[in-house]
Amino acid sequence: MEERVMRLMKRGAITVGEDATVREVAQVMVVNRIGYCVVVNDKHEVVGIISPRSILRAFGMDLDRTKAKDILLPHTITITPSSPLSEAVALMLEKRVDHLVVIADRPGSRAVYGILHGEDLVRAMAKNQETKA
Amino acid sequence: MIRVCDLMHKGVLYCYPDDSAQVIADMMATNRIRSVAVVDESGEVWGSVSMLDLLQLYGKKLDKTQAQEIMRPYRIEVDPQWPIEKAIELMKKHRIEHLLIIDPHAGPKRPVGILTDFDIVRYMSHVELGVYEQMLKVPSD
Repeated sequence: MEERVMRLMKRGAITVGEDATVREVAQVMVVNRIGYCVVVNDKHEVVGIISPRSILRAFGMDLDRTKAKDILLPHTITITPSSPLSEAVALMLEKRVDHLVVIADRPGSRAVYGILHGEDLVRAMAKNQETKA
Repeated sequence: MIRVCDLMHKGVLYCYPDDSAQVIADMMATNRIRSVAVVDESGEVWGSVSMLDLLQLYGKKLDKTQAQEIMRPYRIEVDPQWPIEKAIELMKKHRIEHLLIIDPHAGPKRPVGILTDFDIVRYMSHVELGVYEQMLKVPSD
């Protein structure tokens, strides 16, 4: 049976509001040592995700005036806990991102459920091969 | 002026072109890194394998694939003395998350460090290494 996203995802995610400045987002990433930041609106719905590459794009702009909503990758890069992991990998490769935001399965829901990290997928790949060998 | 060598990680984790993808996956999982340099026996760089390059093999047998089949060839030469802005422009232009830094004084192109997008984020955040740990420290009395 194919493995699902819920097996490898981490529950919960570090979030910032859409009006946070790029400098604040960078600080949140550095202080928490994470390679992503989920952007949410007032209702705590996912608006998008910011990766280190998004922050790089803002280099040269005024980091204390540019907002998270100006540089984020839109919320279309999300997956649900019951999706197969192969679908998650295909989405990561297509969008060239290391992390996917996991949202609840309920129709119309955009609440953050967790995060699927690329490094957890790599760790699972390494481990699977060892058990097969 | 901030130079590339001020922000890069000194030293690079590497594998050989005929090492299997399994070796690379183990290196990434153990060391919690997102890219591994591929070098030949003389230490000259051939390319690098990123986490996304490795994820292409999801569901396939890792020990049947060699590093040279999935690596991105080394093309972009970066000198450690360059200003950081020049390196950032290259990363933005080529949409890559890391740059291998080469020793300009050695004959073969030997990697001396790696500059990742996260190193740039740390520079842009103005948070110094260790400052946050300092902030968290509760006075003892």
